[in-house]
Amino acid sequence: MSRVSALAPAAGKLSAHMFCVRIVSPSKQYLSCGSADNAHPTDIYGLAVTDKQILSASGSSSLKVHSTVDPDFPLVQSIDEAHKLGCHHVVTNSKGSRAASIGFVGEIAIWSCHDDIWSKDSIAPVNQAGSVGIWAIALSEDGQYLAGVSQDGHVKVWDLNANGEQIRDYETKGSFGTCIDLSADGRFLASGHENGSVYIFSTETGRMPFSLSGLVKPVRTVAFSPGGKFLAAAGDSKVIVLYDTSSGEQVANLSGHAAWIMSLSWSNTGEYLLSGSFDGKVKVWSIDTRACVATHSETEKSIWSVRWLPKVGRSEGFATAGASRSIAFYREATGG
Amino acid sequence: MPLTPDASHAPSPPQPPSTLDEESSPQTRVKEHIASALSTILTELSSPDGHPSLTIKLRSNKVSARFISPRTGALETQVSDTYTTYTWPGKDYYEAWKFTVAMRVLSGIADAVDKGVVVSKRDIYYQDPAIFGSQRVVDRLVDDFAHTIGVDRVALNVGAAAKGLVVGCFHWRIKDQAMADDAHFLNADTLIPSPQDIQEMNVSDVDWVLILEKEAVYRRLAGMKYHVRSTAGLGILVTGKGYPDLKTRAFIRRLYDASRQPNKRLRFYALVDGDPDGMAIMSTYKYGSLAYAHENSTLNCSDIRWLGLRTSDIVTGVDRSGNDALVSLTDRDRKKILAMLSNNPVWAVDGPEQEGRAELLQMLMLNVKAEMQILYDGDGGLVQWLDRRMTHIS
Repeated sequence: MSRVSALAPAAGKLSAHMFCVRIVSPSKQYLSCGSADNAHPTDIYGLAVTDKQILSASGSSSLKVHSTVDPDFPLVQSIDEAHKLGCHHVVTNSKGSRAASIGFVGEIAIWSCHDDIWSKDSIAPVNQAGSVGIWAIALSEDGQYLAGVSQDGHVKVWDLNANGEQIRDYETKGSFGTCIDLSADGRFLASGHENGSVYIFSTETGRMPFSLSGLVKPVRTVAFSPGGKFLAAAGDSKVIVLYDTSSGEQVANLSGHAAWIMSLSWSNTGEYLLSGSFDGKVKVWSIDTRACVATHSETEKSIWSVRWLPKVGRSEGFATAGASRSIAFYREATGG
Repeated sequence: MPLTPDASHAPSPPQPPSTLDEESSPQTRVKEHIASALSTILTELSSPDGHPSLTIKLRSNKVSARFISPRTGALETQVSDTYTTYTWPGKDYYEAWKFTVAMRVLSGIADAVDKGVVVSKRDIYYQDPAIFGSQRVVDRLVDDFAHTIGVDRVALNVGAAAKGLVVGCFHWRIKDQAMADDAHFLNADTLIPSPQDIQEMNVSDVDWVLILEKEAVYRRLAGMKYHVRSTAGLGILVTGKGYPDLKTRAFIRRLYDASRQPNKRLRFYALVDGDPDGMAIMSTYKYGSLAYAHENSTLNCSDIRWLGLRTSDIVTGVDRSGNDALVSLTDRDRKKILAMLSNNPVWAVDGPEQEGRAELLQMLMLNVKAEMQILYDGDGGLVQWLDRRMTHIS
């Protein structure tokens, strides 16, 4: 088992009791493998990953695109004047053909990628979304559907292949919508809200099968597992709650963060969950054992976004960004 | 609120209140207007069935047309003058009251003009708060009289009320006061005078100036003599009670100019709420306001250091006051932040306040703000927090 052999070197010095705990949840090592230093002149709020690129959004007007195929993570494109006052969410579909970004004034931009170069699409109705106060957005795997949650708690879906026509509008209790995610198969939509509410909607029936309990403080991030079995939600309560999407039951609480959790990301296989918090800590959680297997605390600056990177060979890696204004890259230590 | 004088609204002026020629000085016009108004009233009073009255030209001009002037090419409006007359005793209680308060304000103005002193609207109000009911009644009448006579409010010898408060370890000499005044060591209620009334200022004992947004915080600190007891040295506490008036800004600038000596420099700090207004207030002291853009270069104090409050300090628990101290932004707060970011170069991406810009964006991101009250409950309270910050940020 490669996971067991990857015990932290420090484990040998721990007490017997601690050692037992470590056996149950073997730790993993992720080593820093580069960074895009000062990628933006202000805090980086959003990251989005495709098969070979990482897009980043910040409090300045440009979106930046770095290559993740090249070990030096070079800047390959700067999309200038994308959002006048800056941009807080950027999302892509996984094959990297389409992206969407939303700026602080509420304006949504749709982007498409040809030969690794992004350019702006003019999909009209979505561009009027500013007037409805959308805050967070999500894009379906195939890039066809854009979902958004508004400051007054509405959840909307647009069909980008039908010229951005709005096809759904769900109403919730009106609490500020802070985060949203679409399941990989596109069947479910989840939104997180400032009052602690988490809702799951069926995109097929338009119904809301679950209003999930468990978090009372603002939710900052929600994420479906790749297979859609789980929904993870976290925020100011500093705990990650896992829900079973078929029953709506709360199946686990992952605690260990000491500050607000701002971002979550599932590994490609769904085995690991990555989390980043306001005190600069980044954690990797094993879903099997429901335990934290790695913690990174290189910075005390807030982490706003964390994302797993595409697997390179057997090794998984991730990227983090936030108030440091740089994007940091990590790879799993392989062998020994 | 009984401010709309429609009850006694007269469509046409019973008597043109002022037929003075345009050439006479504003002061003369004021004196002559007051003299004629008062003498008319006295004549009426002394006749058995007289009806003393006061006529005011309304400022709420009826805009009858908006147009581009063919002569100047500018957007102009056409307004028709409307007058209202208050008679004693009038037809109802309201008119009687209105006549009375108008008389009170007019006599306040007459008094100031006679003695050649400048009074504030607040001074007039405090002559009889019970009858005026609210400061706004006085404010409106003063402006009404200025409009009726056709002069600037300054010609009525009515200035804006002094608003800022100061206490601290400095010496100054105020115009018409014989001695250098040390009273402010003891008295926390020293109003900040007009800059031209400060004839001398000595700040040689002082290490720091702390500018406070909130009057309540100022009173708390002044009450415990923080300007003497701080571990950061001797200081001066100032509050402009929210957005500062020009006098308070001019006073801060005066301190700044007085402190620029070769061997010693005052440290200037600002403590404001962790919300868009707090940030805008800090920026008004430091850079100036868009409204007084032409005067900013003589009023700003570019050395001000921003002590807080920062939402991030609370979120990360640096202030250990708990996240419960944070409040959600209102719709107005969010709009205000966006307006600040888009209109004011202070907060631009390449502007001078990068940290402030990040803070404003973070408020939008987290949808939270923090108000000063939370510092009262923190570890060791406000004083320790300030001692720590002012020693740390120097």
